[in-house]
Amino acid sequence: MAVNWLRTLASRRSVPVFPVLGMQGDELLQQLVLSPDIELVDSPRHASVLLVAGEIPADRFEFARRVHDQLPSPFTTLWFRGEPWSHLENATRIDDLDILPTALVTAYSELMEGRRESSPRILPDKPPNPWEGEGDFGQGGEGMMGGVPYGRPMAMNMENDIRDGLTLDSLTFRLGPFFFAFPPGMSAEITLQGDLVQTWQTQLVPYPQSLDPVFFTARERPVPIAEIELARARHHLHRLYRGLHLAGLEGASLSALRLAQNLSTTSTLDGLRRYLSRSGFFRLAAIKGGELGPEQARRIGGPAARAAGLDEDLRSGDAGYRRLGFSPVCQTGGDTCARWWQVLAEIDQSLHLARQAERDDVTTSELGRIETPRGPWCAKRPEDASALFDELLPGLEWGDALATVASLDVAGLADQPVGTRPSGESRAIRGGTGNDV
Amino acid sequence: MESMNHGIGVDIAFLLLATLAVVTGWRVFRTDSMVRASFFLLVSFIAVGVIMILLAAEYLGVAMFFMMAVEMTVMALFMVMFMMNPAGLNPMNMVHQERIAIGAGVAGFLVLGVMALLAAFPDQPVPAGLDPVRSLGNEMLGDSMLIFESAGLVLLTTMIGVVVLSSHRGRYGAAAEGSMPPGLEPGGDPAGKPEEDEEGEGGHHHHHHHH
Amino acid sequence: MFSELFLPVLMVIFMLIVGGYAVAVLDRLVASALGTSQDGGIWLAPMARGAWLLTQHANATEAPDWRAWRLAPALYLALAAGGLAVVPWSASLVATDLVTSVVLWGSVEALATVVIFLHGWSANSLLALIGGYRYVALGLSYILISMFVLIGVALPAESLQFTQVVASQAELWNVIRQPLGLPLFLIVGLGMTFWGPLNLADSTDLAGGTASEISGPPRLVWDMARAAMLVAFSGVAATAFLGGWLGPWLPGPLWMAIKMLAVLFVLLLLGRLLPRLAPERCVTLMWVVLLPLSFIDLVWAGIGALL
Repeated sequence: MAVNWLRTLASRRSVPVFPVLGMQGDELLQQLVLSPDIELVDSPRHASVLLVAGEIPADRFEFARRVHDQLPSPFTTLWFRGEPWSHLENATRIDDLDILPTALVTAYSELMEGRRESSPRILPDKPPNPWEGEGDFGQGGEGMMGGVPYGRPMAMNMENDIRDGLTLDSLTFRLGPFFFAFPPGMSAEITLQGDLVQTWQTQLVPYPQSLDPVFFTARERPVPIAEIELARARHHLHRLYRGLHLAGLEGASLSALRLAQNLSTTSTLDGLRRYLSRSGFFRLAAIKGGELGPEQARRIGGPAARAAGLDEDLRSGDAGYRRLGFSPVCQTGGDTCARWWQVLAEIDQSLHLARQAERDDVTTSELGRIETPRGPWCAKRPEDASALFDELLPGLEWGDALATVASLDVAGLADQPVGTRPSGESRAIRGGTGNDV
Repeated sequence: MESMNHGIGVDIAFLLLATLAVVTGWRVFRTDSMVRASFFLLVSFIAVGVIMILLAAEYLGVAMFFMMAVEMTVMALFMVMFMMNPAGLNPMNMVHQERIAIGAGVAGFLVLGVMALLAAFPDQPVPAGLDPVRSLGNEMLGDSMLIFESAGLVLLTTMIGVVVLSSHRGRYGAAAEGSMPPGLEPGGDPAGKPEEDEEGEGGHHHHHHHH
Repeated sequence: MFSELFLPVLMVIFMLIVGGYAVAVLDRLVASALGTSQDGGIWLAPMARGAWLLTQHANATEAPDWRAWRLAPALYLALAAGGLAVVPWSASLVATDLVTSVVLWGSVEALATVVIFLHGWSANSLLALIGGYRYVALGLSYILISMFVLIGVALPAESLQFTQVVASQAELWNVIRQPLGLPLFLIVGLGMTFWGPLNLADSTDLAGGTASEISGPPRLVWDMARAAMLVAFSGVAATAFLGGWLGPWLPGPLWMAIKMLAVLFVLLLLGRLLPRLAPERCVTLMWVVLLPLSFIDLVWAGIGALL
């Protein structure tokens, strides 16, 4: 009786959702964040609904199952444009982005009111590695190091500490493909001493990201510059949202998303930029470090390279842009702070160009070579550059390291634009009951 | 606090706190996690601090909470940062040379117990209008000022010395590059250079547990 | 017996409940004013969230320190209650009128470091542990500043009792008499409750930090404890700098409530407006800039007391 009343009250809150992003899954994030009925949480322990968005490739399947079991009961799952695991009965699958928010709300209220059962656990509830012990007092292993408790080596100071003072013990761990602060799909093996990153090794590269279709059409025929520049500004605003959310500026991140949603040639970035400067985002928040050398800047291309001082932009070779008086914006320094300034400057520049282009009705003229928000696309699409993290991040503290990850757009480009399903990959995931690893 | 008329509540509180202090003190040595050991010690000290408040030493009792909290936290933090097994994940023998320690403990208990039972403690009830803070302040900044101020200065010097000694940045450059003073004549040997092998790789200590 | 034991306990419990709810509502008000979209009504949402947390299971990690993990939120709540117990609502209405209440508040701040570190460490999870580490670095930095500022406030009162501190502000409030005091103390408050720009323990880049692995009733107790600590801190700030219960026309407790709400509002606003400081920059700022400023504040207070 009291429990029912409590659950009815609990069903009145916004739905706490943890998104597990598969291929092309992050398109929906922007829609969900702005919905007041849904709260996207960063940790699976804080969620009641697991949203599996997109197809999860086979090599990340096991991690997705572990995340599924990390949600506290009662919880439920919802699949978006992906095949539900076949051993889960009553799995709901949604394919239409517009009805996704209401579907989430319905699933949550059904769960709270008892009409939908909590999802069963998939993995067995015992420690994966038994503790092994041999000694007189029950301690483990031979030699001086005290064994391997629970299958994991003891933390020891294996690396010389980069910082001053005594050497801390180092801890090596893997942070998985569904960590909210990483590009979707990326997983890394990290060694920390204290909160300083000693080594970083990318294990799984992020999924290729899909761009707005206008960039694909621009390779084949001239498109209005206004349209392509607005798409570019939208892409940068989505990245800005992630960076601001990481820095703890919720209000600013949401206003960046709202600006992206209602983007038109009359939008302006001035309010947001003024707020960011005044609030101390560029001076106080964790945005130092992560400087790109000239070789690394050339490898990644795009706004990150321009932030490092490399003023190469394929748009300057286009007659339409030249008519509008385009010249590439650059920063010096190449660190995370410079990259955020660059993002803001490029959004501003794109809005100006779009306004002018709409007035004068200018289109692009060059085909086959376009500057995407990720980098230049001539013959080959921009490729994944997450090996950069292995070079940049050692020596940074945890907050600075994650801010650098957020400021660098390393995922390669997918061969299909947003809105289309991936061609060959969706068939590869079906395979059995999902119970075998 | 009036002299002899403390209520039964004070007695009960004293007994409970004393039991807590002794039990948590015992747990310090029986738990298998070093972090838990330091926090059990903290609880023991807090119980003693509350007893001090009961004894009308209000400032000293509350200052005890204050100091012990930060001290035990720093101790626990250092254990987590530098020891291989602070959490007791890997059971190990937490005590060393326990026979000698037990012997010393029993002997100490006997001596202190005899002292507590047989000594004649002075019978000086606390005066009614005592302001413990004021009297403590008068003592610390009056008769005992030299002791306290010099102790404070020594502590400050020690803290600064620790930071300086553990810093990589020596007076003549980073320790990793062999911070050495310049030579007495240009291009000559560094002044005060030791004869042969230098320390080499700084501080790569493995803490060995012999089991 | 009743007035000595039950009345203080009732007062503190009442302040915890009302204060915690007030913090939740005020935080949502500030958030919606600054553009974060909110669900449902502002008044119902904290209750709905509390009910949701009560219906969730408290989850387990692989090999945590169970006792410390489950106890830490309750201990933090107890510390906040201890802090609230020394806040005076009028010259006679105070839960415990300790002679050394300023030092008790200092020990509440120090013990909070212990409890938050325990909460982070005992979960046996990486992100929670880093949150605990960072909080200790922050805690050791602000504690000296806090103590100097409070000693400065105790000097004109010639006493370590909060009721005397308020009584000494009868001519002039400490916020005017010692201008550096309240800004420094507000920064200490943001640090102590790890709120907003100084939220290094439960930060977003740690997916919730020490709170990243908790769910269910322990998480509810933790959030309530954080709100209660905010209320306790605003009470102490209002007492030490804004003249406590002093003020014309209205009764003392009402003035105290107004001043506490004002300080609470400032803290919550700063929490929403400012980005989170990098730990390195935060520690540097505290030791290099704020600690000398607190010395200056103390010297100023000393000169004021001598003259």
